[in-house]
Amino acid sequence: MQVRIRQAWNHLFTILSSGSIVLLVAALLLFLIPMLRKGIPAVVFRGTVEFRKMQAELFDRGDTMALQKETEQTWQARQEIYTILDHFSRGIDTEKLTDEAKDLYRDYGQILRYQETPKEQYTELRGRAKEIRDHLLDAFESTDKDEIAAHLDAIEALRDEAAFSGTPVEKMFTMTGDFRKLIATVDLSKRDIFADELEVVKEELYNLFGPRPDEQTPQLAMKRFGATRWDVAEKHLTFLVWQEKWIPSDDGQTLVAKQVRRDDPLEGSFAGTELAPLFSLTEKILKDTMKPRFTLYWQYFIDDSTPGHYFGGVGPEVLGTLLLTLLAMCFSIPLGVISAAYLVEYAGDNLIVKIIRICINTLAGVPSIVYGLFGMAFFVAYITKQPGVLSASMTLALLVLPVIIRASEEAIRAVPQTYREAAMGLGAGKFRSFLTVTLPAAGPGILTGIILSLSRAAGETAPILFAGAAALAPIPDFGGKWWLQETRALSYGCYDITVGDKLAMMVPHKQFGMVMTLIILVLCLNVIAIVIRSRMSKKLRGM
Amino acid sequence: MLVKTDSNIIRKSESKGLKMESIPISKNSASKNGKIKLDSPVKQSPVQDTPISAERTIVRAEGFTFFYGSKKGVEDITMNIETGSVTAIIGPSGCGKSTFLRSINRMNDLIPQTRTEGLLSVGGQDVYHKSTNLVNLRQQVGMVFQRPNPFAKSIYDNVTYGPKLQGIRNKAKLDEIVEKCLIDAAIWEEVKDDLNKSALALSGGQQQRLCIARTLATKPKMVLMDEPCSALDPLATARIEDLIAALKGIYTIVVVTHNMQQAARVSDRTAFFCLGKLIEYGMTDRLFTNPRQKETEDYITGRFG
Repeated sequence: MQVRIRQAWNHLFTILSSGSIVLLVAALLLFLIPMLRKGIPAVVFRGTVEFRKMQAELFDRGDTMALQKETEQTWQARQEIYTILDHFSRGIDTEKLTDEAKDLYRDYGQILRYQETPKEQYTELRGRAKEIRDHLLDAFESTDKDEIAAHLDAIEALRDEAAFSGTPVEKMFTMTGDFRKLIATVDLSKRDIFADELEVVKEELYNLFGPRPDEQTPQLAMKRFGATRWDVAEKHLTFLVWQEKWIPSDDGQTLVAKQVRRDDPLEGSFAGTELAPLFSLTEKILKDTMKPRFTLYWQYFIDDSTPGHYFGGVGPEVLGTLLLTLLAMCFSIPLGVISAAYLVEYAGDNLIVKIIRICINTLAGVPSIVYGLFGMAFFVAYITKQPGVLSASMTLALLVLPVIIRASEEAIRAVPQTYREAAMGLGAGKFRSFLTVTLPAAGPGILTGIILSLSRAAGETAPILFAGAAALAPIPDFGGKWWLQETRALSYGCYDITVGDKLAMMVPHKQFGMVMTLIILVLCLNVIAIVIRSRMSKKLRGM
Repeated sequence: MLVKTDSNIIRKSESKGLKMESIPISKNSASKNGKIKLDSPVKQSPVQDTPISAERTIVRAEGFTFFYGSKKGVEDITMNIETGSVTAIIGPSGCGKSTFLRSINRMNDLIPQTRTEGLLSVGGQDVYHKSTNLVNLRQQVGMVFQRPNPFAKSIYDNVTYGPKLQGIRNKAKLDEIVEKCLIDAAIWEEVKDDLNKSALALSGGQQQRLCIARTLATKPKMVLMDEPCSALDPLATARIEDLIAALKGIYTIVVVTHNMQQAARVSDRTAFFCLGKLIEYGMTDRLFTNPRQKETEDYITGRFG
């Protein structure tokens, strides 16, 4: 009976321990898979023609000839959409018309002066042109159709083919004719609403297609291209087609938001207008205007990004994280191992050493933001005098120091005393025997501590928050004092995008791409360390 | 029985008297750098049967007492060891034989809060004098431990560890030392083809012989062996014993052992320790066949607990 019970206990223990391992793996996958699933789209996605344009312009990549052809094709497709937009907006966007009229009047005055017109004639012609312009401006401003008609009629009365033929004033007459036709179909009372809504439509079209070919290249790199990714394009298309309408709720007490199409015949803002066809057309030909194609953007890991992380990759972040982590390790490994060696080999077991040990254990549990503030208050304020790579990595080094000290202490303590005896028996001093015998034997254990702290240093945000990380820091200039420059880092970049603004909504792939890159980076660093460790312990075991 | 007990009491009182004397003597005979004149008269142990002349003596202990904190590890040991001989130290567990052995090359220094009284000298050098160069001492007095403890390095590196500490960097010279020491330790034939193999890949007996080779490489005068065969099987033990016999004469060897047959086989002299004291010290043949002290007799006949 007793044997039975003992066997049952044994089985139970086996089941429990293997079950916990399975659970651990499952939890790890549960944690990793969503990260990777959301992060992989940063590298593998459907890139649009805008993406290829961006790659060509910012990174000099891709086939220029093919791209040019593609650009032309897409512009032809887009032209249709822009024609509708332009036509409609002329009637709505009176500011533009007003500016146009003013420009024409000014041009005419200059032409008259250039031709050295006699003074009386000049005054007379200019006066008439001014009268036409004022009528036009009044017509543009008015919302009353009769009043507009009156102004336009007054202009027609002033029409004098002989005097104004071939001059800008003639163009004013053309504008008059166009405007008369335009207002026939436009509900002028809605002009203000249209103007606001039209702005949104224009902005979303801009987000989709980028600047038009005849437009000036914008200063911001972010504004130079449309949607580079198909998922982003679809998102902007939704913003373009759908609008949020506040309608009274069923009980009439409150207003509720409702998504309606802008060309919805009943509720859409542009129902029945000339703009209405634009939405379904855009939906229909979006593929032709964007030409999405499966793209493997492996350069994501090395590319610079446009300010704001809108386009491009995470190259500087990877570089910054590597710099910070490795530099932090350079500080903390020697310091940690020497401290551990002192604690094990030299320090006795007195009160001070006990206090030091308690301090180290406590430091290992201090929240990382405390280290961040300390880094700012000490390293930045007194040592480097400015936030930068050096102060940030020193802060990180401080953060991982207790972990390294503790792991190294355990590893050094675990080296059999007989090793030390053997070395000393051969005449080695304490330091010599530590360096040549104890340290190599403790190597794998120390490396375990290093692996743990490496991951921690690479992933921490809080310590570098104030000490040298910046979302848009320049790429380290290795010719100069790069250690005093602020740097980007994956952890900090991810944090910045997340708390930043609506950017996180527009570029979620970027945010999770950074997380994925961080995971991959840490994994690579760990794999290297683990390989070194297994080689070390193999050698120690004599295989 | 009764007579022997009496003599024991007498010996105790004698040794107490000796101790009172020996401390000033050692202080006087030791000069500033801890050197002791080799021809100064040797205090012979009262429990020793055959005296050893001053010029044949390598280790002199006079009233040597070793303290772990306030506890005495060994007490009032007066014992001389002859150059080039094999001396065995036997005794029950915890009797201080390892403590005494480790005192000879100061391996006990690794233990905190220890101190000594009396004199212990090797080759005319006071071991516990503050001017004693530990590196020199340990290179002169090599040590082989209970468990084989080769470094996690190659066989070659294990043997050259000591010579490298002495500053020998010449590859040809190191090669020569490695070959000579491995031959001396009777392991050359087994490992000559893979000197770069890790020492930990060897069997226990081979490892122990390698440790002996490693000790010989520092060219010691003495080799201390702390139960060198207790972790080995009988075959490996036999090889080590053969090795000890072969090394006799070239090196002074002190062996601590629990195995009385082994002590009888390999040693010239045997010392019996009990409860931190030296009970009897004499020629091995005589000690095992005709012990003078009751404790010794009890121990070697197996009546001792």
